[in-house]
Amino acid sequence: MIIEVSLRLSILVALLAPAALLLAFGLPALLGRPLRETSVGLLTRSAMLVSFAAQLTALALYLGGGGEPEVLSYGAWLGAHEGAFRFDFLVDGAALSFGALSTGICGVVSAFSVRYLHREPGFHRYFVLFAAFALGMTLVSLAGSVEVLFAGWELLGLSSALLVGFFHERRAPVVSALRVFAVYRASDAAMLAAAVLVHHWAGSGSLALVFSNELDGGATLDAGRATIIALLLLVAVAGKSALLPFSGWLPRAMEGPTPSSAVYYGSLSIHAGCFLLLRAAPLFEQSVPARVLTGLAGIATALYATSTARVQVDVKSSLAYASLTQVGIIVTEIALGLYTLAFLHLVGHACLRLLQFLSAPNVLHDLHELENAVLARESHAPIGLPSPRVPRAWYLVRLERGFVDELLDRVVVRPFSRAARLLDRADRVTCELLDRPAPGTARTMERGPADPGTS
Amino acid sequence: MIERSLWLGGLLALPLSVALASRGNMPLERLRWFSFAAAATLFALSASAWLGWLGEGGEIPLVPELSVLGSTFGSAALRLDALSSFLVPLASALWLLTVAVTPRAMLDRAAIRRTAIATLLTTVTFLTANPVLLVALWIGSVVIYLAALSAPENRHARRVAARVLGVSCVALAAGVLLVEWPGAQGTAMEEAGVWLLVAAALIRKGIVPFHAWVPEVFDRGRLGPSVLFSAPQVGAYVTVVLLVPRAEPEVLRIVAILALVTAVYGAALALVQREARRACGYLFVSQSALVMAGLDSTSHEALTGSLVLWISSGVAFAGLARAVLVLEARRGRLDLAEHHGGYEQMPLLATSFLLMGLACTGFPGTLGFIGVELLVAGAVADLPVLGFFVVVAGALTGLAVLRMYFSLFCGRRDDAGHLELLRREALVFGAIAVFLVGTGLLPGPIVSFQSDVGEQLMNDRHPPAAP
Repeated sequence: MIIEVSLRLSILVALLAPAALLLAFGLPALLGRPLRETSVGLLTRSAMLVSFAAQLTALALYLGGGGEPEVLSYGAWLGAHEGAFRFDFLVDGAALSFGALSTGICGVVSAFSVRYLHREPGFHRYFVLFAAFALGMTLVSLAGSVEVLFAGWELLGLSSALLVGFFHERRAPVVSALRVFAVYRASDAAMLAAAVLVHHWAGSGSLALVFSNELDGGATLDAGRATIIALLLLVAVAGKSALLPFSGWLPRAMEGPTPSSAVYYGSLSIHAGCFLLLRAAPLFEQSVPARVLTGLAGIATALYATSTARVQVDVKSSLAYASLTQVGIIVTEIALGLYTLAFLHLVGHACLRLLQFLSAPNVLHDLHELENAVLARESHAPIGLPSPRVPRAWYLVRLERGFVDELLDRVVVRPFSRAARLLDRADRVTCELLDRPAPGTARTMERGPADPGTS
Repeated sequence: MIERSLWLGGLLALPLSVALASRGNMPLERLRWFSFAAAATLFALSASAWLGWLGEGGEIPLVPELSVLGSTFGSAALRLDALSSFLVPLASALWLLTVAVTPRAMLDRAAIRRTAIATLLTTVTFLTANPVLLVALWIGSVVIYLAALSAPENRHARRVAARVLGVSCVALAAGVLLVEWPGAQGTAMEEAGVWLLVAAALIRKGIVPFHAWVPEVFDRGRLGPSVLFSAPQVGAYVTVVLLVPRAEPEVLRIVAILALVTAVYGAALALVQREARRACGYLFVSQSALVMAGLDSTSHEALTGSLVLWISSGVAFAGLARAVLVLEARRGRLDLAEHHGGYEQMPLLATSFLLMGLACTGFPGTLGFIGVELLVAGAVADLPVLGFFVVVAGALTGLAVLRMYFSLFCGRRDDAGHLELLRREALVFGAIAVFLVGTGLLPGPIVSFQSDVGEQLMNDRHPPAAP
């Protein structure tokens, strides 16, 4: 009983800490009275530490209590709709470990960010979005209901896009942010569609159907339905984790500040899709086509990313593609059913990339210092340049990142824009026709001054 | 009974007194303040309607039956029920928003008078289910709206609106005549009347294929009056009180399908617009269609969702469009292909714009999320494929809103001119953001109330045909 109550309390504290942080930063920023930088740093570190400690405590209590996975329900969000919109959180080893890892990494990055963004004009905006990210990550890690998972998933997407466009005085980051958000919206739509089907077929918003492929009463989904939900989840994961064919947004996302790149595209956000895939593995086991497609997507992404990473000319893009390579491998491991390996791979990789991303500016700085000191540039041949053994065309394809963005543009963006503009034109023509004067009044109408808006 | 009469008297007298004062000699600045005070009082008074309804429940008659040509049409002329108890405050909130943030130069005597009369007509509309009165109020609101487009530069928009809305007036009047004709019940005459009511509602709400006029009047007409005319969604109200109780479920399903197609269509076209006003028009088309889809659904969950959306998108969309007007007052017409900057000078407007837009998309943490989720769940229960239309519409709307946000507030800092918000503007936009997020985080009371309203509306529906 004491363990149960303590566990509930720990989960609540783990969630409330980032939520309170978001409120503490968001409200003063909205009122135009942002907190001082030192207060922001102190509050962020404290909240992350509290959340991290709470999740470690929950993990210890969970393991001490026998290690039986359970869903902790904190009631319904909506009084009138019992059974819908439930605050349910799943307590098991994977959820608590990933949750603790997330808040731990967020704590490290927040400490780094306070110094890195010192006196930056968007300092407070960054920390509001960072708090939203931390909350979203905690929700995704511990989600036990469709609504909680979706809320976390959306918070990750929005905060990510707004941080890509952090330096919004320049056009390029803003354009990139919109592109990233477009892919995320596609991913979110697939996630919501899967959630809708889960609701429809399971009759509740419980994630038991996705995480254990069991409906109430122990029944399971048939292979056809399992395949549909699994494929929708695969699209959601592919969008969030930049698997092919959605990989084009990853280098664009490097427009954001380095700490956000580290936490989003190096360590956590890019792994959120893998984590979801890992949780939904029992569902994928019911569907051979979905597993095969997942495996193929993972292998293709790993091969694509590793070959692209070798010809990148800036350190952040190079690291981003190196991350993607590992993400592809993790996805393949999940498709092969190597779940423990995949989880350990995910945790180790998240920590390694965090270190590399955060130390990248220092490494470059040190290198420049060294070169200045010896008054000479260190000679190092660029990697992956065309050689007799590497065809020039292949090199160019890799340099242009496989033309993945161009492909999406041609297949999706341009046809969509063309069709929408055509319909818009049709609407305008309809209104012009509606404005056509009646036969008897034509002359009078034509004499009037032209509408300024018409030109 | 005396309290009710006093309440109703206050409700009608406040906008009427502003309209009359605008005809008198009151100095313009004092008139503006008077209209602001009247709008604030009306909002407080109408909010008490909700509390009053909670206390008494059921249908509270305010004015006895109206007899026209010997026919009473079977309902009290004015009454307060669950539906009207939340719509009346919405109408007054929109008036308050209008008089609070409309730039001084645009709020002249005529504009003050029109907004007051438009609010009066909308308020009375929401207090009646009497078909004859509804037709009269519908026509009256159209006339007032067209009067707002009387300037020569709005001639094109006025002609388009006059022709389209004129057809809707005729369709509504003819529809009411046919469905209320003695002995018409259950005959082809009633069926024809129902289809005419459908046409009237679709036109007024801008549902495909009658949608083209909405973005046109938003873009080439006047945005402020267009928002005040559209945001209360009188077409949806008429659908609920006149159409839904009479129409067969099959008819309602057709309307729901058209509405869901419109929701996707509007969001998709908002995404490719260059003009901010036109993008607003398509966003409104999409949002209003989502409300309509839920109202015509046979699912109680979807109906509750659409009632929640009615409030959420009404407030959020009106705020969004007003934000565009506030920006236009400082910068002129806004081209979405450019990045205008100004976040640093107007962080509150930028943040509230984003929050209002996110509420329209159904983003978690806003009231819109609850509405959209309930709508999706209900639509799927009704017909699974329909739920995906809502999902796609939400995704596209989110993208369109973020594109607008990036264009309107990001980019090179523009230090020229006065961009900072006035105190009253800051107060209003801050309040809208707080309302949308506050009710999004604690939606229980609103959803519970709307669920009861939905249940009542479900009970009033046309019974399904026997197999």
